[in-house]
Amino acid sequence: MSTQMSTPMIEQLAGKGAARAARRKLHGVDKRPGWLTYCALAAVVLISFYPIWFTILLASSNAGEIARNPIPSLIPAGEFLTNVTRVIESDIKFWTALANSIIVSTVTAISVVFFSTLAGYSFAKLRFRGSNGLLVFVIATMAVPTQLSIVPLFILMSELDWVGKLQAVIVPGMVTAFGVFWMTQYLREALPFELIEAARVDGASMIRTFWSVAMPAARPAAAMLALFTFVGSWTNFFWPFIILGSANPTLPVALQLLQASYFKDYSLIMAGVVVATLPLVILFAVAGRQLVAGIMQGAVKG
Amino acid sequence: MNQQLTRSQRLSRLDVKASPYLYISPFFILFFIVGLFPLVYTAWVSVHDWHLIGGQGEMVGLTNYIDVLQQPNFFKALRNTFSIFLLSSVPQVLAAIVIAYLLDTNLRAKTFWRMGVLLPYVVAPVAVSLIFAKIFADQSGLVNAVLEILGTSPIGWHADPFAAHVAIATMVNFRWTGYNALIFLAAMQAIPREIYEAAIIDGANRWRTFFSVTVPMLRPTIIFVVITSTIGGLQIFDEPRMFDTLGQGGADRQWMTLTMYIYELGWGAQKSFGRAAAVSWLLFLIIIAVGVINFLITRSISSSSSGKAGR
Amino acid sequence: MRAAIRNLAAVACVGALLTACSSGNGTTPDATQNGSASADPNEKVTLTVATFNEFGYEELFEEYMADNPNVTIEARKAATSNEARDNMNTRLAAGSGLADIEAIEIDWLTELMQYPDKFVDLADPELDGRWLDWKSAAVTTEDGKVIGYGTDIGPEAICYRADLFEKAGFPTDREEVADLLEGDWDTYFNVGKDFVAKSGGVAWFDSASATFQGMVNQVENPFENSDGTPIPLSENDEIKAIYDDIATAATDDNLSAGLAQWSEDWTNAFQTDKFATMLCPGWMLGVIEGNAQGVEGWDIANVFPGGGGNWGGSYLTVPEQGANHEQAKKLAAWLTAPEQQIKAFQAKGTFPSQVEALEDPALLDQTNAFFNDAPTGQILAERAKAIEVAPFKGPNYFALAQLVTDALNRLDVEGTDDAAGSWDKALEAYNALGLS
Repeated sequence: MSTQMSTPMIEQLAGKGAARAARRKLHGVDKRPGWLTYCALAAVVLISFYPIWFTILLASSNAGEIARNPIPSLIPAGEFLTNVTRVIESDIKFWTALANSIIVSTVTAISVVFFSTLAGYSFAKLRFRGSNGLLVFVIATMAVPTQLSIVPLFILMSELDWVGKLQAVIVPGMVTAFGVFWMTQYLREALPFELIEAARVDGASMIRTFWSVAMPAARPAAAMLALFTFVGSWTNFFWPFIILGSANPTLPVALQLLQASYFKDYSLIMAGVVVATLPLVILFAVAGRQLVAGIMQGAVKG
Repeated sequence: MNQQLTRSQRLSRLDVKASPYLYISPFFILFFIVGLFPLVYTAWVSVHDWHLIGGQGEMVGLTNYIDVLQQPNFFKALRNTFSIFLLSSVPQVLAAIVIAYLLDTNLRAKTFWRMGVLLPYVVAPVAVSLIFAKIFADQSGLVNAVLEILGTSPIGWHADPFAAHVAIATMVNFRWTGYNALIFLAAMQAIPREIYEAAIIDGANRWRTFFSVTVPMLRPTIIFVVITSTIGGLQIFDEPRMFDTLGQGGADRQWMTLTMYIYELGWGAQKSFGRAAAVSWLLFLIIIAVGVINFLITRSISSSSSGKAGR
Repeated sequence: MRAAIRNLAAVACVGALLTACSSGNGTTPDATQNGSASADPNEKVTLTVATFNEFGYEELFEEYMADNPNVTIEARKAATSNEARDNMNTRLAAGSGLADIEAIEIDWLTELMQYPDKFVDLADPELDGRWLDWKSAAVTTEDGKVIGYGTDIGPEAICYRADLFEKAGFPTDREEVADLLEGDWDTYFNVGKDFVAKSGGVAWFDSASATFQGMVNQVENPFENSDGTPIPLSENDEIKAIYDDIATAATDDNLSAGLAQWSEDWTNAFQTDKFATMLCPGWMLGVIEGNAQGVEGWDIANVFPGGGGNWGGSYLTVPEQGANHEQAKKLAAWLTAPEQQIKAFQAKGTFPSQVEALEDPALLDQTNAFFNDAPTGQILAERAKAIEVAPFKGPNYFALAQLVTDALNRLDVEGTDDAAGSWDKALEAYNALGLS
C-alpha cells in the first residue's frame, strides 16, 4: 500500500523536474559551457591521466630499457602482454587474490552504503534524544590515529580466530564514520522534510519511509560512497597484509610480492599495477554512467 | 477492535521512538567491537612502560606524555604536520570547489570528465611514489631540470623543510583534489535550479551566483570536506613516508609528521610502544581541537555568506 | 593481560550479540597452546614458514615434504624485509599469529636478542661449527641459548668501474686493483683523492652513510659497552674519528657523489657515471647489474678496506608461540644445512653462511658475466673468511647508529650543515634520547 502512496509523489516531482528542465533552456542556466571550461578541465584530466599513462609505458617496457631511460619515451613499447602474463603466472596466487579482492570490496561497499544511508537518514531527518551528541561522537571516532590500532585489532582478530580469514578485513570496514557523516550531510540538504511527512501521513512505517523516500533521494551520494568505498577497499594494503598475509591475499598484498628482490623490475611491478587498476577502470566505465544518471536524478528531486 | 487499534498505535509510537536508534546502531555496534577496544588498549599502553616486543612493564602514569612533550622531535613533527596540512588542504578544497563548479555545467561527455578527475585516486601508491620521486629528485629530477633550463638555481626538495613540505603537499593534492571535487559536485547537483534562475533574473553574473548561491548552499558539504580533510590531513602518513626511500622524514626529520613519529617511536629503533601510544592520544586530542575550531570557522563563514544570499 | 583482553573482547561480544563473535570467543587459538610436547615424529603436522624477499626455498619445501610425508609446509612470504619486520613485530606484540619458522634479518637481532624467551632454544651440539663463527655468535645469548640458524650472509668486496679507472690512468685488472686498495680506510680514501684529481668530475664512492656502515662494522663496540650500556656519543672517540674521516673524505676531498642509497638520484647515477667504486656485499651485484644495464665496465676486486666486512644476511628462528617446536626445529636445521643452502644459492643467489658450503665447487665455480666474468663465488667466499669482527650491537645500537647516519646525510646528501655543525646536532639528538 504505502509504496504505491509514495511512488506517485516521486513521479510527480520527477514530472515537475522535467517541466523545470524545459524551463531552464529559456533562462539559459544550463547552456553549454564555453571553451575556457573545457580547457581548464582538460588540463586537470591530463594531469590526472599522466600517472596511468606512465604506468602503462613502464608496463610495456623491460627492466633494461627502464634503467637506460629514466624518463620513458611517450610511446609504449611492445612487451605489455608478456609482462602481464609474467604477473599472472608468477607464484603469487593471482586468481585467489583477485577473487578475494572482489569479494572484500563488493561486500564492504554494499554494506557501507546501506548502513551509512540508514544512519545518515536517522541523523539528518529523524528527531531523537541525543542525536547531536551521537553524531559528534561518530565524527570524533575518525580522529583516532590508526597506526597503533593494528596491534589491538590483531589481538582481537586472534581471539575471534579470524587471522588469515576474509572477515577480518571485511568486518572492521562494514560501516564507516566517513560514510555516516557523508550521508548525514548530503541528506540534510537533498531530502525535503515534506516528502518524509507525506509518506508518514500515508501510513508508511519508518523503515518503509526510509526505503521508498530516503533511499531514492540518497542515490547519487550512495553511488559516490559506493565507488569511494570500493576503491578504498580495493587499494588497501597494510591491514590485509598484516592479517591475511600471502597465504590468502588480496590483490595489493599479492602484487606487492612482485617487488621481492633486491633489484626491482619496474616493468613487472607496473604490469601488476595495470592489472590491479583495470577492474577499477571497468567499474568506472560501468558505474560512471550510473553515477551521472544518479546525480541527475538527485538534482531533479531537489 | 479498539484494543487492536491502540496496539498498532503503540507499535507505531515505538516504531517512531526506536527506529532512529536502530538505524544508527550498526555503526555503534561495530565501533564497540573493533574501535573501542583499540582506543582503550592504546590508553592503557600509554600509561605504562611498554616495549613493543617485551610487552607490558611498570605503570608509569603520565611519564610517557611528559617525556614526549620534552622531545624536540615531537614539536618538529607537530610543525611539519601543520605546515603540510595547511599547504595541502587549503588549495585542495578551493581547487575542488572550482573544479566541481566547472563539472556542474552542462558539459558534453559528462562521464568522461567526472571519471577523469577521479583517476588519481585509483592509481596504486607504488606508481605514484615512483613518479613523484622522478619529479622531485634533487639531482636528476624533472622540476630541477626545468629550473635549470629557466636559469634559476635548483631547489633542494629534500634538504629544505619548506620545499619538502610543498613537494609532499603536491603529492597529497594530486591524489585528493579530484576526490573532493566529486564530493562537492554531488552536493552542487542537489541545489535546486530555481535558485540559480532567480539569481540570474536578478542580474547576478556567474561568479556572483557562485559566491552568493553555490557556496552557501554547499554549507553541510563544505563542513564535511573541511572536517574530513582536517582529520585526514593531520594523520598524514603515506605521502611523507614515500617521499624518500628511508621513510623516516629526512636526516633532520624536516618532513617527519606526527603519525610518522608515532611509527618511529613504536616500530623504529626505540620500540617504545608506551611513548607511541602517548603521542597517539595527543594527536587524537589535537585533531579534535583543530576539528572543532575548523567547524566553528567554516560554520560562521558559510552562514554569513548565506545571510547575504538570503537577502 | 591476556585474560584482561579476553574479558574485554567478551564484553564487546555481549554488547554486540554477534554469533560469530561468541563462537570465536569459545575457541582458543592454536597459537597460544604450547605444543612442544608432541613427541611422535610421524604425527601429521602443518608447518608454516615465513620468509621475505628471496630465500630460494620453494623447491626445498617440495623436497622436504616428499621425504617427510607427514609434514605439510605452508609458505608465507613478504616482499621486503621492512614489511616482514612490521608483520613480525605486530604478531610478537599481539602475542599470537607467528609462523612455526620465522626468518629474521641480522638488523633485527639487537631488539630480538633482548627477549630470547620469545624464541625456542635451537642449540644443538651436532650443529656446532656448521656456520662461520661470527655468524653463530651473533644469535647466541650469554648463557648459551641459540635463537636462530644462519641462512645467508653479505660478505663485502669493492665493486668498481674499470672503464672509469682506465680513463683516470688507473689499473683496471681486478687483481691490480685489489693490490692498489689493499690496506686500511686511509688507503682507500687516499687512492680516492688521487682518482678524483684525475677523473674529471667522477666521484670515488656513492654515499658517505653507506661507507660509514662499512667502517662501523669493523668496530668491536661501536656504540655500546659489552654490558649493553650506551657509550655517550660525546665521549665516543672511535666513532667520532670515523665520522671525521668520512666527513673530510666526502666534503673537503670531494670523494662522495652525495647520494642516498636507493634514492632516485642514486639509481639514476648508475647510468650517468657519477661514481667509480662502491662497497659491495654479495647481494649488491644483482642491484648494480639491474641499475647499470647497458653500462660496460663494472668489475669486482677481492679486497675490502680494513679487512673483512659483512652487510646483511638472515637467520631462521622458531618462535615460542608456535605449536610444533620440535618439528619446526628439525625443518629449520635441514633448511640451513650446507647442501640445502647451496641449492638456495643456485636458485636465488643467497650467499651461504655455512663453512662447508664455502668450499663447495658449485659456489666456487660461479662467475658473473656482467662483472667482466669475475669469479664472484671465489672472491666472495674469500671475503667471507676475512671477516673477523662481529660488532657488539646492544638494545640501542640502531637508535645510536641512526644519529651518526643522519649527521652524515645532512652534510653529504642534503648539504644543510658543515661537519662540526652536523655533529653538534647529533649530540643534541643523543641527549634527547634520554638514555643515561
